[in-house]
Amino acid sequence: MTDIPVIYFLWVSAFLFATGLSILLLKKNTIFVLMGIELILNAANLNLVAFSKNDPSLQGLYLGIFVLVVGVCEMAIALAIVLQVYRNYRAIEVDQFTSEY
Amino acid sequence: MSPLVLAFLVLALLTCGSALSMVWTKNLLHAALAMFLTMLGLAGLYVLAFADVLAVAHLLVYVGGVLILILFGIMLTNQTDAKTGKNHLMTRESNRLLPISLGLSFFLGLFWLFTKGPWVNNLPVTGDSKLKEVGLGLLTEYAFPFELAGVFLLIALIGATFVAKSHD
Repeated sequence: MTDIPVIYFLWVSAFLFATGLSILLLKKNTIFVLMGIELILNAANLNLVAFSKNDPSLQGLYLGIFVLVVGVCEMAIALAIVLQVYRNYRAIEVDQFTSEY
Repeated sequence: MSPLVLAFLVLALLTCGSALSMVWTKNLLHAALAMFLTMLGLAGLYVLAFADVLAVAHLLVYVGGVLILILFGIMLTNQTDAKTGKNHLMTRESNRLLPISLGLSFFLGLFWLFTKGPWVNNLPVTGDSKLKEVGLGLLTEYAFPFELAGVFLLIALIGATFVAKSHD
């Protein structure tokens, strides 16, 4: 069975990490920033899965499943917090959350 | 070029292209749809890495769960323009030069690092589908983390509903 070299997966995950970081720094909308965080999480997950491809004990795959669960929990809590912040500040952009509002 | 590598290339292009369009667009809804495409491509990449269980879980969780959550978040935090009464969902950006150049330099640095690394390429691939191994492992060796993840998920969801309700 032919196999895809692990370096290809690493390149894609480096790209995903870089785009996630750019979104994190570039966008001001809080939900957009959360999407960037999700991209970074998935870049890490892709690395884990790519390395567990050649691992008979599949440790990377198990860690990937648990990373997925933690990512979902983070997203649910973060969106709840965003909703609550929006109720209090009537603003969604990160530089508007100031105390003198 | 083997068909496997060709499939990888198509999926990698889908993933990277839609991730790049997430950086490019200012429209929040377009970004959510681009994220859907990114997650679709990523699930395909997981399949090509012989992790079909994780691919299915990823699709269920991200497309079925997280994307719906994000769409609800966008819907509940929309701000209509006071003058025209329209809502174009445009997000403001900081100066484009610094974040994009930082991301590009991170990518080039990681690319250089990964290309330089002493990877072994001809390791034996372990089987095709990991479904049976993962199922057995989650109920035997990794049973405790698995249960812990379930309890964690329950706590997080109850906490999220508590935080999101109105505290008047």
